[in-house]
Amino acid sequence: MTKTFTCIVCPNGCEISAETAADGLCITGEGCPRGRTYVMQEMTDPQRTIATSMRVEGGETDLCSVRLTKPIPKARIMEAVAAIHERTLKAPVASGSVVIAGILGTDSDVIATKDVAAAEA
Amino acid sequence: MSKLDVLIVGGGPAGLAAAVRLYEAGIRDILIVEREKTLGGILRQCIHDGFGLTRFGESLSGPEYARRFIERVKELGIPYLTDAAVTEITPERAVTVVTREGLMVYHPRAVALTMGCRERTRGALAIPGERPAGVYTAGVAQAYINLYNRMPAREVIILGSGDIGMIMARRLTLEGAHVQAVYEVLPYPSGLPRNVLQCLDDYDIPLYLSHTVTCIHGDRRLEGVTISRVDEKLRPIPGTEEYHSCDTLILSVGLIPENELSLNAGVELDPHTKGADVDEHYQTSVPGVFAAGNVLHVHDLVDFVSQEAEALALAVGRYLTEEGFAEGTREIACGRGVRYTVPQRITGKEEFTLSLRVAAPMKDVTIVVRQGDAVIGKKKMKKALPAEMIRMKVSPVEGDGELEVRVDD
Amino acid sequence: MRSGFDVIIIGGGVVGCAIARELSRYRLKIGLLEKNLDVGYETSGRNTGVCHGGFAYDVGTWKAKLCLEGNRIMGDVARELSFPFKRCGKVLVGNTQEDYNRLLEVIRQGEAIGVTGLSMIDDAELHRLIPGVVGNFAMLSETSGILDPFQMTIALAENAVQNGASFFFGQEVTGIRREGDAYVITTPKETFVTRWVVNSAGLSCGKISDMLGLTGYRVIYSKDDYILLDQRLGREVSMPIYTVPSNTYMGIHVTVTTDGNLLLGPTAQDTEDNAYYGVEQKNLDFLYKAAMDIWPHFTKGDYIRTYSGILPKWADEEGRIQDFKMEIVDDVAPRAVNLVGIESPGLTASVAIARHVIGMMREREAFPERADFNPVRKGIRRFAEMTAEEQAEAIRENPDYGELICRCQKVTRAEILQAIHNPLGVSTVTGVKYRTRAMMGRCQGGYCQMRITRMLEEERGLAPQEITYAREGSQMLYGLVREEAHHVEA
Repeated sequence: MTKTFTCIVCPNGCEISAETAADGLCITGEGCPRGRTYVMQEMTDPQRTIATSMRVEGGETDLCSVRLTKPIPKARIMEAVAAIHERTLKAPVASGSVVIAGILGTDSDVIATKDVAAAEA
Repeated sequence: MSKLDVLIVGGGPAGLAAAVRLYEAGIRDILIVEREKTLGGILRQCIHDGFGLTRFGESLSGPEYARRFIERVKELGIPYLTDAAVTEITPERAVTVVTREGLMVYHPRAVALTMGCRERTRGALAIPGERPAGVYTAGVAQAYINLYNRMPAREVIILGSGDIGMIMARRLTLEGAHVQAVYEVLPYPSGLPRNVLQCLDDYDIPLYLSHTVTCIHGDRRLEGVTISRVDEKLRPIPGTEEYHSCDTLILSVGLIPENELSLNAGVELDPHTKGADVDEHYQTSVPGVFAAGNVLHVHDLVDFVSQEAEALALAVGRYLTEEGFAEGTREIACGRGVRYTVPQRITGKEEFTLSLRVAAPMKDVTIVVRQGDAVIGKKKMKKALPAEMIRMKVSPVEGDGELEVRVDD
Repeated sequence: MRSGFDVIIIGGGVVGCAIARELSRYRLKIGLLEKNLDVGYETSGRNTGVCHGGFAYDVGTWKAKLCLEGNRIMGDVARELSFPFKRCGKVLVGNTQEDYNRLLEVIRQGEAIGVTGLSMIDDAELHRLIPGVVGNFAMLSETSGILDPFQMTIALAENAVQNGASFFFGQEVTGIRREGDAYVITTPKETFVTRWVVNSAGLSCGKISDMLGLTGYRVIYSKDDYILLDQRLGREVSMPIYTVPSNTYMGIHVTVTTDGNLLLGPTAQDTEDNAYYGVEQKNLDFLYKAAMDIWPHFTKGDYIRTYSGILPKWADEEGRIQDFKMEIVDDVAPRAVNLVGIESPGLTASVAIARHVIGMMREREAFPERADFNPVRKGIRRFAEMTAEEQAEAIRENPDYGELICRCQKVTRAEILQAIHNPLGVSTVTGVKYRTRAMMGRCQGGYCQMRITRMLEEERGLAPQEITYAREGSQMLYGLVREEAHHVEA
């Protein structure tokens, strides 16, 4: 059986075919080794990263953008997003700082992707 | 009146990259003019990741990508103005800048146009029907959600499968809105394949190709839209109309380089890119006025915007130091399968990077650049999509043979 | 209950606002009820914005007489009230002998009405005036012009308010009854008691007329679709270009707005629904084709917006369109001014209509004049229209002039603030738009609408979900993406 995947590792979006044959898995069409890894992962346990924003108190803006540092199981994305949205940050927030360590018990952290300075009093 | 070497109009990804590279090349008398409160341009609202894979080998969010350049600008002490709007550029390169502190006229030796692009609107498409609230371009919805903390949508239909449209489909879903579907008038997606997968497929948002919105309903908030199938000439097919109830229509139907200032400066535009007609030095038809990034032609990847702006910076550096800086006048013709090229013309004296887009999706093709009988550039592609800008090195040879780019099987 | 009004005007279109303004010369307590959230939101704001010469109407009609008078005084009115008006002239272009004869007829009719400045011009003169136009000859009307219909309506309203009139928005009249010498007017929100009432309800004139007991008017509706094009294209068109009119259709116009946009329209289509403003694809196709015949210098890529307007027409049994009806029927509805079928040229004629109407009222009652009436209304000073020196000076005086909010129309924070805090009080996004031009350009608010909705929130103390686009209920936003938290983490 042949399955086709659109690789999302980079913007090239290679179309990669994976054929399950008697002597194992045959992967073709990948532009680089990362594509192969992606397909193997996608066939067993698809993973995704996600970006969203968190509420900031006392900041010059209400929101701070955040993202995951590593992919987590695709099926847990909405759960992770809900957990992120529940929390509120206190200004100042520095870009790159870990705002939630190990989201949902995974090894993926949530980091701020923007500086939010404290509001001028 | 104030003299300067280079004035950079716009502190987004293109302007920032140009400024850093100019500074590194020894051009220090420069000024970035940015109309927002902070540098970064459109990247400020693009909080999703996927930026910087080519340049930094990692997947950054828009603000992080911008920050790497902004930090560099600050480290180097490159002068910039924020909350400052350029209101006019004359063909003589007098640049009027307006801020709350007053009105300034600069006379830079060179101007770098890096203003980015704007979105096509409902009005430009002339979608029939009423004019309710709830019809937003993808970028406006993105700004409301990511920058303004304001929720503009609940029950959503998206017209157009541009990248921002698909990214907003995912973003709206994460924020609790229900995205019913994305409709695309073309028979293929307008945006990148990875976004079809990770923004639509992952969230079970259907993408309908060869469909469009043929009527907008509601005189207060949007109540619904009529969707029709289109034929191969993109004309709605009578009898295929279907009404879908929704409170929000998001449009992701194309980006247009923002060239109002350029036009006033006398810059000639390419009707295909809607950006300036430039040579391989990114010099426009007005001497000393250069353009790069989305104001020149709409890019799909910011990494290439940065690269292009850096190439502009090097050219501006040469323009400032070399007497008799050559102007490219030899036109590159778009042959079979090619929608546009940048540059549109070259001097023919040096190697350059050619950017182009194909006219339709194709598989197993070769992009060939010819100068007379000589092949001066060649790129084999497993697939070529209009959504993906193609970049390739081209090395002109001696002689005045006609230049042409085409797609060969 | 709000009582003690001398006059309540129903309808805040250009005619209602003109009547409010002209009445505010007298010591009267004036109220104006408008169902929308702003003035000029129906017919008055949805047209070509042409100031008509008056030649197109039958001799002896009010349409002819008041259009001519309205045109004559427009320059003075525009100066007093600071709204854009340009007496740029207008041409009706023709190609055939039949066209030529028809245009001669138009001139004869116009001259009989008293219109001046009408002449036939040849090919050379036509192309000297408008180089790119397609046509062999034309009738030139020198007194015709263009005006900004929103600005005119707003200016009249603001001047009325300056002089003491009160405007009530979101007040759709649902009933009128007489109690002794007074009229009691009800809306779903409030009740107003007044001695005089004026029906200037435009599209709802038939309904209000019935409420006054003046029944029997048959009002039919005609809908026009328009396409607005980029400002770059308007530069080549020095005056409105019309085709030769037939008996039923004035023909396509390629006109230019006072802002310099090219405008194509109208389509003149009978409609039953006087509240449906949807633009139809077939009309857009027709306008494109018809406009190309006389002005083939645009592409569909130059479109920035489409819109439509509806005209209320009073028709007889056979469907023949009648003159403006302006009456006070003393034995049925004393002190009630009833205006029916005020359609084109109502915009041009508005102030003349107002003066005529007030004449009718004063025949029945002496209105004492106000010594302190101020006819001058100052508009918003536009940054985009200033010279560089003036801009620098304006920023020195008020730094808000140095903060550009709308980039394509170069509208500053100072102008938006003036619009929001104007005497009428703007609460809608379109209200800001029509007063300042912000969001009217190529990006249609792509850059500035978030800033403008935020300013409306801040300046008027509104919650995000209270921001309306245009009509009541046209909610723009559903609240915050993320609310303030109850507990904050360190």
